[in-house]
Amino acid sequence: MHTYEIFLKKDGRDEYRHAGALDAATDDLAMVMARESYIRRAEGDRLWLVRRDHVIVADPDLIAPNADKPHRHHDGSAVAARRKAMRNEGASS
Amino acid sequence: MTRTWADMAAFESFLDDGGIVEVDDHMPDEYRQAVFAFIEMHANSELMGGLTERDWIPRTPGLRHKMSVLAKTQDEIGHGHLLYMVAADMQIKTREEMLEDLFAGKSRFHNVFHYQAVTWGDQVAIAFLVDAAALASQQAVFKNCSYGPYRRILKRIISEEGFHMRLGEDRMMRIAQGTDTQKEIFQGALDRWFWPALQLFGPDSKPDDVLLRWHIKSERNEVLRDKWVQKFVPMLQSYGFTVPAPDLSYDEEAGKWDVGPIDWEPLKRTLAQGGPDSARRINEAKDNWERTRWVRDAMDRAATVPA
Repeated sequence: MHTYEIFLKKDGRDEYRHAGALDAATDDLAMVMARESYIRRAEGDRLWLVRRDHVIVADPDLIAPNADKPHRHHDGSAVAARRKAMRNEGASS
Repeated sequence: MTRTWADMAAFESFLDDGGIVEVDDHMPDEYRQAVFAFIEMHANSELMGGLTERDWIPRTPGLRHKMSVLAKTQDEIGHGHLLYMVAADMQIKTREEMLEDLFAGKSRFHNVFHYQAVTWGDQVAIAFLVDAAALASQQAVFKNCSYGPYRRILKRIISEEGFHMRLGEDRMMRIAQGTDTQKEIFQGALDRWFWPALQLFGPDSKPDDVLLRWHIKSERNEVLRDKWVQKFVPMLQSYGFTVPAPDLSYDEEAGKWDVGPIDWEPLKRTLAQGGPDSARRINEAKDNWERTRWVRDAMDRAATVPA
């Protein structure tokens, strides 16, 4: 018996999304049970099953520093301020 | 890969800020136990409800209704599957242990599944009144539930419960426009099911209810119960039925219905497995589990058979 994580996707409009999990003895049985448990009403037209013990989970410490990289963002306010200043200069000359 | 909190105060402040707990977080044990018990009871109720629904497949009048009962049965059993998975992932009990406890009468399921559905009218009343009460409770949990895996699975469950409630209203309207005998059958069912459906919400929430404090429930029991009363009393009356509450009154000024004092003894009896149909239902669920063992065994064997 293995636990499988279920990912569904619909119509190419979104990413695969995690929908839940189930236990099954084989990949084939997991596929049938996923269809019966998660896709009875066309909730998706693509299905991925991933065995839970194959999922590689990131340590938060590895990911956390990426919240602290201001040089990877630009909210545009400095550009807007400069643009406004240039416009004002142009108007006054 | 897990989050930890220094103490309960830090954890509660995380929850108050709208924090969502995930399965691999180091949640306080009291929280883990309370959330698990709540999900386990929900899972048990879906299974017990699904078995009742299944009993009615051969007895449901007409092919159209019969097919909808088939679909509903599969939904309820499916919800059981989803919820037992979420509960088992909390690593307090395995799925097998939860089922063993259920069949041994050691764990709880909703009061309404401790009664017998005698007529088709009962099935209509259950789908109309009970499913609406269960849906209202689930929506109030979904709205602000702090346990992520439960909240996400509730989204799917709620959309399917909406289908059941609409089926119930459809059936109720048909029976309300039916013959005098049909109306009598539904009134009889209403007399049996009105109070259990209302009691599903439970007595007034206690001030120290941890499920409210930890953002599992987002609404107090009495508030949800009152909303249900305000919706269903006038609706039943408009279809020509009598609400079986002798002390029913209407407050003109507040514009609100009052069903009078509520006797909570029947609810307490069901929670102690002492409802009118508790023993038969539990035994039937246990027998069903034994009768279907060969299917599970065959699936397990599939893993050992070379392709």
